[in-house]
Amino acid sequence: MLLDNYRPADLFDELVDSQGAVRPYYRGLAERLRGLNQEELGQKLRSLELLFMKQGVTFTVYGDERGTERVFPFDPFPRVIPAAEWERIEAGLIQRITALNLFLYDVYHAQKIIKDGIIPKEVILGARHFRPEFVGASVPKDAYVHVCGTDLIRDRDGRYLVLEDNGRCPSGVSYVLENRSAMKRVFPGLFGAGAVRPVDTYPADLLATLRNVAPRGNPDPNVVLLTPGVHNSAYFEHSFLARQMSIEIVEGRDLIALDGFVYMRTARGLRQVDVIYRRIDDDFLDPQVFRKDSVLGVPGLVDAVRRGNVALANAIGTGVADDKVTYAYVPDMIRYYLCQEPLLDQVPTHLAWRDDDRKLILDRLPELVVKAADESGGYGMLIGPAATKAQIEEFRARIITNPRGYIAQPVVRFSQHPTLVEGGLEGRHVDLRPFVLWGDSVKVMPGGLTRVALRKGSLVVNSSQGGGSKDTWVMVA
Amino acid sequence: MNAPPTLLSRVADHQYWMSRQIERAENLARLVRVSEEMLLDDETLGSGPAQEEYWTPVLRATAMESSFRALHPSPGRGDAARFLTLDPRNPDSILSCVRQARENARSVRDKISDEMWSELNALHMLVGSQEGIDLLARSPHAFYERVIGSSMMFDGITEATLTRDEGWNFLRLGRLLERGDMTSRFLDIRFGDDPDDARASLRWGAILRACSAHASYRRLYGGEIAVANVVDLLVFSNEFPRSVRHCLRRADQVLHDISGTATGRYSNACEKITGALLARLSFSGPAEVMSRGLHDYIDELQVQLNAAGQAVFETYVLLPGEVDRRFGRLGSGDQASQWHREQQQQQQQ
Repeated sequence: MLLDNYRPADLFDELVDSQGAVRPYYRGLAERLRGLNQEELGQKLRSLELLFMKQGVTFTVYGDERGTERVFPFDPFPRVIPAAEWERIEAGLIQRITALNLFLYDVYHAQKIIKDGIIPKEVILGARHFRPEFVGASVPKDAYVHVCGTDLIRDRDGRYLVLEDNGRCPSGVSYVLENRSAMKRVFPGLFGAGAVRPVDTYPADLLATLRNVAPRGNPDPNVVLLTPGVHNSAYFEHSFLARQMSIEIVEGRDLIALDGFVYMRTARGLRQVDVIYRRIDDDFLDPQVFRKDSVLGVPGLVDAVRRGNVALANAIGTGVADDKVTYAYVPDMIRYYLCQEPLLDQVPTHLAWRDDDRKLILDRLPELVVKAADESGGYGMLIGPAATKAQIEEFRARIITNPRGYIAQPVVRFSQHPTLVEGGLEGRHVDLRPFVLWGDSVKVMPGGLTRVALRKGSLVVNSSQGGGSKDTWVMVA
Repeated sequence: MNAPPTLLSRVADHQYWMSRQIERAENLARLVRVSEEMLLDDETLGSGPAQEEYWTPVLRATAMESSFRALHPSPGRGDAARFLTLDPRNPDSILSCVRQARENARSVRDKISDEMWSELNALHMLVGSQEGIDLLARSPHAFYERVIGSSMMFDGITEATLTRDEGWNFLRLGRLLERGDMTSRFLDIRFGDDPDDARASLRWGAILRACSAHASYRRLYGGEIAVANVVDLLVFSNEFPRSVRHCLRRADQVLHDISGTATGRYSNACEKITGALLARLSFSGPAEVMSRGLHDYIDELQVQLNAAGQAVFETYVLLPGEVDRRFGRLGSGDQASQWHREQQQQQQQ
């Protein structure tokens, strides 16, 4: 009943093909969904939101004095990814994180990729998140990006494209785990017997990844999670992960660096810290080295890192790899370091600092998406077709003043997925953020966070701007 | 495996305050509920202090008189009860206590059980919502019962679900010190000169009810209410769980559990204070209180209880002064905390 009135739009639809037929790997789920009516579904959904609210599975909305907390809206229609398709994505993600880590090692050491003329020097040295002070510094096991949350979208043909690599402190994984456990509780009938790959080993895998970089191979390291604090929008996630891994969640003020070592302040005195899973940006880590006004960091932390007495995940300076200009060179990196062709495509990107590209960008601003090279999370963006004349002119001026700071891409009307709205199921745009762990081996969590733009026609999936999420099912076979 | 967990100082502080604030909210609810009942009695009897003066002793005993007067220069009916209950501008209202407790709980979310969190979060959702405002308007009694019940539920859930580790000790400590403190405040509510003995015993009866002590009282002293007996039960009883002495004895035990010091000895300032106070309570009784004057006696007790709380902070939360001086701690004050919040919000990917 629910599915009978579903109308796909003129772009890639996850559920039905261009003829309107349900795709084979969705058939079992569609069958089971038929047993539910709209009212029942809505009712269960409300009870679920109440449950999330009661459990505090929330994110904090900014710009509100009291820091209002909201439930990340949840859509009960899971996204399904067949096994073979996931295998290709997984291989592509592994290839990508491998290349990124080799790239980061290289730019912080010999910089061969520059010397060999693959990436211009200006691109790397001009990246805001490049840390020249870390050139020549070593990190345990040469691992830079331990946790990566690469954003994928699908174009008209259903091709997966990398939109950005979040290689600093990607968030969202806690919602994947909470969504799954909520689905099991509220809609147990939708799961076929053992057909969906579980996601719940993630915290254990993350802990293993963190322990793997303990200084001097310490087999029994003290691992902590460093949070900005309860006012951060992702605080729920920080607390959730710390609990799942049974590690301490600390704030900067809980830590002290003394003579090149880092300690936490306990009711019984100081205790040494070996590995820090940090969820604050480089800029705020250490007021002695980066932003002087930071009250979130630990004075002396960077010195302890340099001396190899404490390890950070992710390492300092990974932001140079998810700079939007660097992004355009990732396929070249893969060819250069791995001698392979990229397995995942990405969105064609024009770089404003190239003269030809800039001319093209400035001529076609109303039809392009312009992004600031050093921003993420939907900030510093211009969506040409939706922008006012004034906004376009503002970006034109910014691009002319700072060409290194901007890139432009065609608007990709990415795939949509049936989503429960008032009055039934309608298509809404979805993206996918899988999580990749770079440890002793590379582990890719099956699926990831599917974010959905709940506003009709909207391409913005960010939680702060009307985004929601759904469970993501990678099928066993 | 990780080494045995040690409690962060900040976490100890959050645990301690979380439970203190829940206990405070509960006791405020007990106090306001019983005061409203007494007010009804007064109105029925057509005597007693004027409506706007009625709440003064309650506000005074809970140290909220001046902040109330600042907001309500000429209070009207219901202003005081609202101020004590749901006024967000009052940093010590039930609403504010629950909010602070919940904020502390959020900071130690990984250290408490899911059930503890759910209970506190549900209470927070109630008092902060229209539903809560409506319930209070419709049935104040039911509202206060909810707050009291939720706090007791939280206590019970804690008892049944929380690992007996250091965090649990700090949580118990906060609750016990607050409970002892609030019981002493209940005794300090002075309603001026009561017109007659009947009215006086009505008031003392109400205070016993506010402390859930009326049944114990009857069993021990019979039906007639005498001030000395009330003081005996609420201050000196070893057995009654809300008495000052009982709370202190248990708090003292918790302190010794934390430090590992043998009972009867002390290894830090807070143990010294609770130990000395306990000894004092053991070697005096209602007669001494009555001859000293109830108010003066309670006043001194509260000074000592505050000192105990302060000593807990200095012993377990602050690092030795020398370390703190070397690494300037985050300044306090509104501006610093606003700045802190803004920076927290800038981190995201």
